[in-house]
Amino acid sequence: MLRTTLLKALTGSKLGPKHITVLSRAASDVAKKPEKIEVFIDDQPVLVEPGTTVLQAAALVGVEIPRFCYHERLAVAGNCRMCLVEVEKSPKPVAACAMPVMKGWRIKTNSEMTKKAREGVMEFLLVNHPLDCPICDQGGECDLQDQSMAFGSDRSRFTDIDFSGKRAVEDKDIGPLIKTIMTRCIHCTRCIRFASEIAGVDDLGTTGRGSGMEIGTYVQKFFLSELSGNVIDLCPVGALTSKPYSFTARPWEIRKIDSIDVLDAVGSNIVVSTRTGEVMRIMPRTNEEINEEWLSDKARFAYDGLKRQRLVTPMLKATNGELKPVDWETALLSVAKVMKNAGSSIGAIAGGLADAEALVALKDLLNRLGSENLCTEHTFPMDGSATDLRSSYLLNNKIMGAEEADFALLIGTNPRFEAPLLNSRLRKAYVHKELDVALIGPKVNLTYGYNHLGDDPEVISKIASGSHPIAQKLKSAKKPLIILGADLLQRPDGAAILSQVQKIASLASPAEGWKVFNILHKVASQVAALDVGYTPGVDKIRENNPKVIFLLGADECAIDRSDLPEGCFVVYQGHHGDHGATIADAVLPGAAYTEKQATYVNTEGRAQQTLPAVSPPGNAREDWKIIRALSEILGAPLPYDSLEDIRCRLHQVAPHLTRYGDAESANYFKQAQELAKNIQSDKISGSPIDVKIKELKDFYMTDAISRASPTMAKCVQAVLKQEQSKY
Amino acid sequence: MAKFLGIDKVLSVLNIVKENGGLRASLYKMFRMDELKVGTLVGTDKYGNKYYENKRFFYGRNRWIEYAPYYHLDYDGSQVPAEWFGWLHYKTDLPPDQEPFRPKYKWMLDHTENLSGTPGQYMPYSTTRPKIEPWIPTKRC
Repeated sequence: MLRTTLLKALTGSKLGPKHITVLSRAASDVAKKPEKIEVFIDDQPVLVEPGTTVLQAAALVGVEIPRFCYHERLAVAGNCRMCLVEVEKSPKPVAACAMPVMKGWRIKTNSEMTKKAREGVMEFLLVNHPLDCPICDQGGECDLQDQSMAFGSDRSRFTDIDFSGKRAVEDKDIGPLIKTIMTRCIHCTRCIRFASEIAGVDDLGTTGRGSGMEIGTYVQKFFLSELSGNVIDLCPVGALTSKPYSFTARPWEIRKIDSIDVLDAVGSNIVVSTRTGEVMRIMPRTNEEINEEWLSDKARFAYDGLKRQRLVTPMLKATNGELKPVDWETALLSVAKVMKNAGSSIGAIAGGLADAEALVALKDLLNRLGSENLCTEHTFPMDGSATDLRSSYLLNNKIMGAEEADFALLIGTNPRFEAPLLNSRLRKAYVHKELDVALIGPKVNLTYGYNHLGDDPEVISKIASGSHPIAQKLKSAKKPLIILGADLLQRPDGAAILSQVQKIASLASPAEGWKVFNILHKVASQVAALDVGYTPGVDKIRENNPKVIFLLGADECAIDRSDLPEGCFVVYQGHHGDHGATIADAVLPGAAYTEKQATYVNTEGRAQQTLPAVSPPGNAREDWKIIRALSEILGAPLPYDSLEDIRCRLHQVAPHLTRYGDAESANYFKQAQELAKNIQSDKISGSPIDVKIKELKDFYMTDAISRASPTMAKCVQAVLKQEQSKY
Repeated sequence: MAKFLGIDKVLSVLNIVKENGGLRASLYKMFRMDELKVGTLVGTDKYGNKYYENKRFFYGRNRWIEYAPYYHLDYDGSQVPAEWFGWLHYKTDLPPDQEPFRPKYKWMLDHTENLSGTPGQYMPYSTTRPKIEPWIPTKRC
């Protein structure tokens, strides 16, 4: 988007993540060893490292060789033969994706032989590919379509003289997310390699050979993984397409808006495709520092939850106890009246999907009314350094850093389902770099092997005191990583656990700039809320018994009617009718993340913004605007009228909130540990460490949006059905 | 002589006023229907509309309807029932009760006037799926 780029250039802010990756890649190329060999691509000399393939060398000079099976992030298969190129003095064309270059090779990517080879391969592929592009969902964004136009022959020799039809393969049912039309498959095996290498689910494979070869699951089975949707993007043809998106839109009629996913704390970069004011699909956007080019299934498929159970009009509770739709004026006036009568006895709870603008506006409003009761739904210990030191609640070593680690200690977390893309990084390190993983918590399937230390919290103290064998391993590791699940800190002894883990982190002697201590959050709003000064946990509300309580998208049942004093007025502002709206006396409809320009900070402390893809439904409005309007009626107007103004206020409160794309790193680990020293370690109770999301079926429905999504409900049903199956 | 002086015109006006039930009723009729005519009453339909004919007027104006009083000013052409429509528009010269071939079955629906613009009007409903399904609060206190 030119507008954002221009704005960034004008405001003088730093470059986006896209630019950073380009810069860092270029920098790493320069720093490599000097023993390079020279090859010639179409007579252009290029110096490459030994072991570089022909295809990579060609990419360095900007020559793109056509390919189907080759993918940068997957192992080389070399079976599609589309990348055949001519090498001088070689009798046969060579497969560019698999062949390492030799010194002095002259590679011809445009010669007669290369062209003939490509045309031949394309002809064979098309002989066995149906001509159903007009009804194919991949039509318009299909690699086979594009490459047959660019590299195929201009005439066909295919005449079905026997009228026997083309090769046909029966479709497979591999779950509620992926639709298969196996006749279209060109056997590139990208999906198989993705499943076994990255998703870690060895369900896909091939059976048969020659023209009888088929891709499938061997037995009737669902391909269920938290990353399964990525095979849809990987498939170069229309063999694997999205089931919820099937036959709904065409790539040339949709508008694409770059945005951020908020359904977990990773903050994956996404592209929201819209048509006729409706979100049609969500696809990943490449960001090497966060999600590479993958996306978790919840982020990709929960978008139909944005169309159901929505709050579209303000509502007030009538005398008979039912919520009745009213107009904005009535709703705001009556909420303001109640808030005015309550004086400073007001509390607020921010939920997991709240954006930084709304958080700041709500905090400003309540502070002006004389209240400090602002809480987040998810707890964090308030003893020791608490949330004053940013390093104690961030994933300090960044998501990308997980790839480099040589030892990882996971405590009370299941990264596979709490942050699937962090888990894929850990798996990458485990597969390619021999990462050792140890886990304290319930035994779960992480898709890679790990040392299970049991779920007894005693183990933490043992490691901290150095009497556990793992402590030695931690000390000897050069790049150790401790990832502590934020859920574990919700326990009453969370503070003691945190201080013990901080102590464990200080045992390690990592390389320079390496950060050992990491917290993995589960919700997108938590870091921003702690950054702007919200109190974690709702205990404060329980103690203070406010007369009015303002729920900003708080849907996780952290507080119930029974916790509140009699006659407490509950205002719910959010976008879905979920637990929060059912206990509310007044409902103010807000916008979901695809409908507003809003700031979110992910678990590593990286501020990113969503962009509006569609307009909020009905009478719903952007969240900070509702709070701004309410402040006007309350007689304490907030000093911002536009997005720029509130962004300025964000900058005042915490400057990193407006440095989009940058992860503001935090330090002061030693100080945090000093402050944590006076917490008694013997306070740790004996109850076993537990995580909420243990299995795939718990992963799909975790927040107001995914709970409203029919696709996610189907996924849960599919998992339950799979459990019944004998395979 | 009276004709020469134009007094007959005055007399016919007085006659028309008299036929229409006096000065007050005539003024009301003028207000309601913008004209005052006399003619022979050909018939009355079940809704109370009266149908008149006066051959003195030229073709096209010589048959007319006086809508039933309860319509007041809200009368329109769709209030003429189907059986009287033909007579009023010169399709036939026989009023409905004298027409031999007019079908009469008990399943035939009663005449309805055009209900557009009233609460009884026809409203087509949308058959497309709504893009957003709103949340409906559960009925509990």
